[in-house]
Amino acid sequence: MKLDTKFMLETFIDVLGGVPVTLKITIVTLLVSVPAGFMMALSRAGNGRIGRRIIIAYVSLIRGTPVVLQILFLYSLLPTLLNYLIKEILGLEYNIFRLDPILYAYSVFILNTTAVLSEVFRSALSTVNQGQMEAALSIGMTKTQAYIRIIVPQALVAALPNICNTTVSLLKSTSLAFMMTVRDITAIAKIDASFGYNYLEAYLVIFFAYILLCSLVQGVFYLTEHSVSSYRREKAIRKAPVMQNG
Amino acid sequence: MLEVKNVHKAFGHNEVLKGVDIKVDKGDIIVILGPSGSGKTTFLRCLNFLEKADQGTMDFDDIHTELKSASKSVITKVRRKTAFVFQNYNLFQNKTAIQNVMEGLTVARKVPKEEARQIAQQALDKVGLEDRYDYYPSQLSGGQQQRVGIARAIAVNPDVLLFDEPTSALDPELIGEVLTVMKKLAKEGATMIIVTHEMSFAQEVASKVIFMDGGVVVEQGSAKQIFTAPKEERTSQFLHRVLKDYDYVI
Repeated sequence: MKLDTKFMLETFIDVLGGVPVTLKITIVTLLVSVPAGFMMALSRAGNGRIGRRIIIAYVSLIRGTPVVLQILFLYSLLPTLLNYLIKEILGLEYNIFRLDPILYAYSVFILNTTAVLSEVFRSALSTVNQGQMEAALSIGMTKTQAYIRIIVPQALVAALPNICNTTVSLLKSTSLAFMMTVRDITAIAKIDASFGYNYLEAYLVIFFAYILLCSLVQGVFYLTEHSVSSYRREKAIRKAPVMQNG
Repeated sequence: MLEVKNVHKAFGHNEVLKGVDIKVDKGDIIVILGPSGSGKTTFLRCLNFLEKADQGTMDFDDIHTELKSASKSVITKVRRKTAFVFQNYNLFQNKTAIQNVMEGLTVARKVPKEEARQIAQQALDKVGLEDRYDYYPSQLSGGQQQRVGIARAIAVNPDVLLFDEPTSALDPELIGEVLTVMKKLAKEGATMIIVTHEMSFAQEVASKVIFMDGGVVVEQGSAKQIFTAPKEERTSQFLHRVLKDYDYVI
């Protein structure tokens, strides 16, 4: 067996064209899901019973079904539903089937990632001990001030490794966007491969493309984590001239 | 200045406080003693609304309120007149020593930053941490952390300082530095309510000692009277036990 290296190089260049799409889906999803997931975690910690039940139901619904199924479901259901809504109820002349499929990709991944992140933030919030909230209240801060200035910053730092995890797995699952005819990395590779049945080569190429992208994401998170969690390390003690014990 | 009457508090079926009164005048150093589970800490927390009492009234200067139904604005007012020092310090882990102290000034009281920094520096100097302004709590020893906790409390210039077992999470050799700071504050005329197990400290600084057991005040009086001539059997039993322990440790 011989690999067609020329094809691989061409495919690699083609695939690079899909990187922005993959990154776009990842980033847009995160931009919506991080705040949404955080709000969910907060309201789950709060008093509202009904809100909490709804969130629990939503999270278990999302976590209890495969992403592929969610994609198939949403991609076949939503356009029909929207079409009905626009044509029959609103009476507008708009062809919903011409809508950019990336919007469906956003929807699925946002729904998914928000559910995952709300759990991530819930556990992160619980790592900040309640005593700090009491201390903040005891010096006259309001609950909101305490959350914004004390609890949330620490919870975010505690959540970073898990956010990184979520981001990496999100980036990988964007490969499923080809099912919604979005031309991301995977879609481009499959199209290229289908002309001459060079599937193995094409898959090898995107294999490395994903490894590169994911390593990049992990690197970014590593640096961020390092720079924001300085208060957890005892670095300054070594730097500053301090007397030793005794 | 501060008078609290008939405080009741139950956690589920467990009645922790069964009608506790306290009267505090300016400059008082009140030490609350008692065995574990006697309700000392809960009582202290009720004074700052960290725990909501089931019953009882509070008169604090011109504020008069029921403890159970106190409105948010009353609670904020009371909290601004008091400050709490916690057993586990409860420092803000993401803030340096000086930021911990400034937070109550800049955020809660809208003091301008420069002024707040000066007040915070004075407070940290007073507790002997002039060389630790920019250290995070994780970089400080337990005794130093508790002194930051005290600095955070005194910086907001409260009418009453509440201490909840401030030394019981500390290693024995670190207790001294915290007690020294507290004695200094007592000498300067601060009004303090202290829950503690440090008997010799209580004897030395208390202007009034309250002995609690089983959710009620068993006995109160001057430090001398309580330690040398307790009237109640339970008080003398308790003192006998802890003072013996104390001798034993020494």
